[in-house]
Amino acid sequence: MKIPPYLQQGDIIGITCPAGYMPLEKAETCIHVLQQWGYEVLVGKTLGSKSKTYFSGTDEERLNEFQAMLDAPEVKAILCGRGGYGVGRIIDQLDFTAFKKNPKWIIGFSDITVFHAHINRNYKIATLHSSMASAFNGGGYKNKYVQSIKAAVEGIKADYSCKTHKLNHTGTATAELVGGNLALIAHLIGTKSDYQTKGKILFIEDVGEQHYNVDRMLHQLKRSGKLDALAGLIIGGFTDMQDTERPFGKKVYDLIHELISEYKYPVCFGFPVSHDKENLALKVGATYQLQITHEQVRLREK
Amino acid sequence: MNRKTFVSSLVAASAAIPSLASDLHEEVDAIGIIPHYLKQGDTIGITSPAGYITEKEIQPAIQQIESWGLKVKIGSTIGKRDHTFGGTDAERIADFQQLIDDRTIKAILCARGGYGFVRIIDQLDFSAMKVHPKWMIGFSDITVLHSHLNRNYGIASIHSKMCNSFPDDWSKAEPIQVETILSIRDALTGINMKYTAPANEHNRTGMAKGTLVGGNLKTLESLAGSKSDLRTTNKILFVEDTGEYLYSIDRMFWNLKRSGKLDHLAGLIIGGFKIKPSEDPAEEFGKNLYEIVMEKISDCTYPVCFDFPVGHQKNNFALKCGVQHKLQVTTNGTTLTEV
Repeated sequence: MKIPPYLQQGDIIGITCPAGYMPLEKAETCIHVLQQWGYEVLVGKTLGSKSKTYFSGTDEERLNEFQAMLDAPEVKAILCGRGGYGVGRIIDQLDFTAFKKNPKWIIGFSDITVFHAHINRNYKIATLHSSMASAFNGGGYKNKYVQSIKAAVEGIKADYSCKTHKLNHTGTATAELVGGNLALIAHLIGTKSDYQTKGKILFIEDVGEQHYNVDRMLHQLKRSGKLDALAGLIIGGFTDMQDTERPFGKKVYDLIHELISEYKYPVCFGFPVSHDKENLALKVGATYQLQITHEQVRLREK
Repeated sequence: MNRKTFVSSLVAASAAIPSLASDLHEEVDAIGIIPHYLKQGDTIGITSPAGYITEKEIQPAIQQIESWGLKVKIGSTIGKRDHTFGGTDAERIADFQQLIDDRTIKAILCARGGYGFVRIIDQLDFSAMKVHPKWMIGFSDITVLHSHLNRNYGIASIHSKMCNSFPDDWSKAEPIQVETILSIRDALTGINMKYTAPANEHNRTGMAKGTLVGGNLKTLESLAGSKSDLRTTNKILFVEDTGEYLYSIDRMFWNLKRSGKLDHLAGLIIGGFKIKPSEDPAEEFGKNLYEIVMEKISDCTYPVCFDFPVGHQKNNFALKCGVQHKLQVTTNGTTLTEV
């Protein structure tokens, strides 16, 4: 696993929107704060573009901009402005040759899970799963979740803890961390961006899903062999869950717990990785120690 | 057993073995096993492997099936309810297993879809099916079963309406309801099936022969990577879906494309797609279904047909999954014929 160089003062962070549209004003605080942190910011044209569709630009525009940022040696990190939907439409046209030679941090979550999984699977280069531009707004840049992005790109080793949950399985595991948005992880199964999870710590989170669909996706992970040989499992936030007219009858953590009850590895619920504010920066591909006791949950980067 | 079909597909399978010798599944699913067609007096079992249904709700189906000269056995899950499911997983497994194993049951009709088949599929024992295959009938969530049977056992099955689509009052049923429900009878009793679809300017014309496979797109996607994952090479694939956003349909077609399922099709059939409108009109997806489909397969040359009468709609004919068909797409319209 290659870890891209950590950022130095004065380094350039590129901001691009490889998926959904984002108005520039929603990223202004982010740009300003990144500058305050000591970085230069290269604002891509896809951010605050004139696009009238769901996307921040045509496939070609999003592709070209991401490619240019991948290829430019002076750009040391690429922060995705937002997720939404769209990375899957351009991933196969991107050329990672220059990136492989000169790895840089690719930052984001949700739809950006496509990048995390694709790069982890194919290039063994670490990426950063974290909040994106809008998380900086409304004073958000001061909270520990946005601050964890700063620490991560500066190379400060993460040492996170969170409170226990009655469904946790205690234990300790030290392994490579992979994960992201459950819907995307499931969607990528069978493709060349499909995560290999054996012997790894997997984290998952999702938003706005139907209970039955979470159940179905987890069955897909299970049936495709992604859950049986994990080193550990981190269940993040499953926020804004929906239910059908005929209620599913189980809470989302209960259904997850039931599905993984046969496994012996450590599992924690309610880890702060989510579509809400509570979203700690996690390095996909880096090695972490997950320690789950009856008193606390700790995730330490090795 | 339809001996002729069985023998001819065996020849095709053995011819294909050298290049596929390393892949047992491909070898298996090339052998099309056609269960016995139903005769007067045969019994159909009805069960709820996914969502729950009441006994009252299946009465119109029972009456209609009995009018075909068939008998009905009501499974133990009918009338059972565990939240959204037709009984607990254990109850649904037990009922379905009993119907698989009971040799007097010649076909199993799933009362309705919903969600739940994937929760029980791995606990079902299909060994009796290998010796005495029988017809399994349904769609939507039941796509799990069709795909599983095709991939693992090469056993044909019927993709069609279920009990919850039988009109309450047959005498007042619309012609399309009558026609589609009777297509289940035709498929079950061995009548050679033929379907037509209107011309659509987005179709890609051509002719194809291959095993028909498919079902609900979301369900097919959710089987990727599992042992029920459909193999599509040289097959005619049909897909339909309901209540999905355009972006989600786009993403599902990307999954098919990126997992290689669209590369070597014999033909592609697009059934009904009820699209969920975008919640924010300012965030229009900007591509319609035709563009979504055709952009994924611009490198391929096989025939493609839209508006085929299969889906979550009245116009939903019984299709035999795992059976050889001929697809003809012309500028005047489409025909699909069982070979």
